[in-house]
Amino acid sequence: MRHESSQVIGNFLPEQYEKDAQLEINHNYLTSQFFDYKEIFKRIEGVVLQNDFTLGKAVDDFERRFAGLHQAEYAIGVGSGSDAIFLSLKALGIGPGDEVITPPFTFFATVGAIATTGATPVFVDVEIDGFNLNLDLIEAAITPRTRAIVPVHWAGRICDMKRLRQIADKNQLKIVEDACHAVSATRDGEFAGALSETACFSFHPLKNLNVWGDGGIILTNSFELSKRLKLLRNHGLVSRNECHEFAFNSRLDTIQAVIADYLCDKLPEITNARIRNSKYLDSHLKDFPQIQLHTRMENLKEVYHLYSFLCEKRDDLSEFLRSRGIDAKIHYPTPLHLQPAAKHLGHKRGDFPIAERVSNQVLSLPVHEFITTEQLDFMIQSIKEFYDAQTA
Amino acid sequence: MPKLLNVPFVDLGAQYLEIRDDLLNRIDEIGKSGQYVLGEECRQFELELADFCGSSFAISVANGSDALFLVLKSLGIGPGDEVITAPNSFLASAWVIVATGAVPKYCDVDSYHNLDPLSFKQAITSRTKAVIPVHLAGVPCDIEKIVEIANASNIQVIEDCAQAIGATFNGRHVGNFGIAGGFSLHPLKNLGVMGDGGFITTNDEQLAQKLLMLRNHGLKNRDEMLIWGYNSRLDEVQAAVGRLKLRLLKKWNKRVAEIADKYRKAFLGRIDLPNFPTESRPVWHNFLIFHEKRDEMREYLLENGVDTRIHYPIPIHLQIGHNNEFSAGDFPKAEYQSAHSLSLPIYPTMSNEQVQHVVTNVLEFCQMNLP
Repeated sequence: MRHESSQVIGNFLPEQYEKDAQLEINHNYLTSQFFDYKEIFKRIEGVVLQNDFTLGKAVDDFERRFAGLHQAEYAIGVGSGSDAIFLSLKALGIGPGDEVITPPFTFFATVGAIATTGATPVFVDVEIDGFNLNLDLIEAAITPRTRAIVPVHWAGRICDMKRLRQIADKNQLKIVEDACHAVSATRDGEFAGALSETACFSFHPLKNLNVWGDGGIILTNSFELSKRLKLLRNHGLVSRNECHEFAFNSRLDTIQAVIADYLCDKLPEITNARIRNSKYLDSHLKDFPQIQLHTRMENLKEVYHLYSFLCEKRDDLSEFLRSRGIDAKIHYPTPLHLQPAAKHLGHKRGDFPIAERVSNQVLSLPVHEFITTEQLDFMIQSIKEFYDAQTA
Repeated sequence: MPKLLNVPFVDLGAQYLEIRDDLLNRIDEIGKSGQYVLGEECRQFELELADFCGSSFAISVANGSDALFLVLKSLGIGPGDEVITAPNSFLASAWVIVATGAVPKYCDVDSYHNLDPLSFKQAITSRTKAVIPVHLAGVPCDIEKIVEIANASNIQVIEDCAQAIGATFNGRHVGNFGIAGGFSLHPLKNLGVMGDGGFITTNDEQLAQKLLMLRNHGLKNRDEMLIWGYNSRLDEVQAAVGRLKLRLLKKWNKRVAEIADKYRKAFLGRIDLPNFPTESRPVWHNFLIFHEKRDEMREYLLENGVDTRIHYPIPIHLQIGHNNEFSAGDFPKAEYQSAHSLSLPIYPTMSNEQVQHVVTNVLEFCQMNLP
């Protein structure tokens, strides 16, 4: 007897990918990205033939390079972006009885990482402009049990970290940045990780800097934390045979580090293309009364992991664009406080009105480095046709 | 020094060459498909693993530790509970218990260097929720007896099969005796991928459903999360590696069994070997021998080009991670193993000359160091 796990539950992605693959202008650009896979194979073979599969030199080299790119002291490669957040919280001693503040509008893993430490996620609503934590609301949510804040740099737009640091210091809180969208992003010239205990990045295949599977990395400027995190990601081992504390297995695979290192060369190009495409869309979409873009700020280098905006008749527009072969996506339709898993937190609709509004109105368009100006024009033209038909 | 070695402890590069051409094509396909996580390779690999292990479900995860950890979580084991395991295993067997908030309890091992059923029975308390018997080094433990004792006390059995893919007990694959089995696909395992990887076998549909959510953020579909979960998935590329190697595993395990036979025949009566239950068909992830002068033997072998390892020099209960909670002497057989066991090279691409070279040098050392 055997069963297909996908028939039971969970392996839902293949169907989604198949559907998306029929579109012409796609969020998923991986096919084009790895056209030069032979060069990558060559580098991977180097690792393979040395039997150097877990941690090892390629991981060390990449960690140093990634830290350098973000002007951080230490980088610790881990199994995924989710694990980066989870291990950071563990390293800071956060667990049952503690509260951690985070926005309800984010990917599941931000909150999943908090909840799986045993701590209680405490939501604070987001701002309508930028979809990041509303810093004005944070202090009201702080209780004697609050230990940390996990801000999310949504779509690669860094929060006001200076002000958040002040709030955290005043209340003796730690900051673990969810920088999964924010590779290369800056605010006032500073990268994620500059003002926090740790910054957590993801190399999931659809991220700006990606690998061929799951991967993540943690940046920190604290030697103590870097030491602790290196133990936590590798069974607590200080050497092959000595275990100083019982801990997890969450390592960045060596072959994935090779791929990430390879793509680092291309990162400036990737980032610039995303910025260029986003500015182009901005310049045309700003004239639509039905669309609300974020205020673009001089002191921010946004890296547009997602190009997302608020729009009227979102679901109809999304469907219309998809019928045109444009992979319009919703990140994400249900805020975290309304997910079945959050039931024990006792929230209801209306608790975080901005997050709920964003979930109802947000739409993302592909802006990756393989999108052409013709494709951008086609997206703009299609949106225009949709709204023209509405008002006609 | 390594240049002089002519029997390395492992030779993964040689395994890679066996699958190289197919693998490069597959990776190219995956690259072009644009789907790198939870896709077709992973789905097929899970079906093939379930077939291979004779289980209803195989669920791939990020590594062998996660395999056991996610099962414990799925069973609701946590703070206030006790879980029993063997102190001579790799420390992840105990860590996964600590990670849930439960307390690891140990019992001593038998002459098979696996969990001793009697010692296990004595370690059971009213708080014991589960036992994790380890099929150490690919040698199945006395699993039927352990399951019998566990059932009588209403305790769940989760088999640690990290080192034992393909091993059977009474003709049945390990991983099917308890509620679930946790396997590792770490590069050094008999079936190893090119990085971290693992999977779980179970015949319990409800458990399988829970595990499929827990490994992927608790998601039921792209947008709906039913429980707080983890991110613990096997990459598509790694699944492709696993699939290609799985085709060769029977052949590889057969060759490894041949080598083990040669070792056993050559050493029988001359050197202290761990025994195993007659019902067990091991897959010899490691081949252990015992010697009073283990460290000297290791040095002697290295001088003669034979690389060896110790699994494991510090038993789990004496690791610093346990903060002196236990003392030396608590589990004498496990401690004896830590002090006296040596693992000889054993892998499918070893030549007969290499095997003979190991045998000759081991016997020479024994001859020079007669008790």
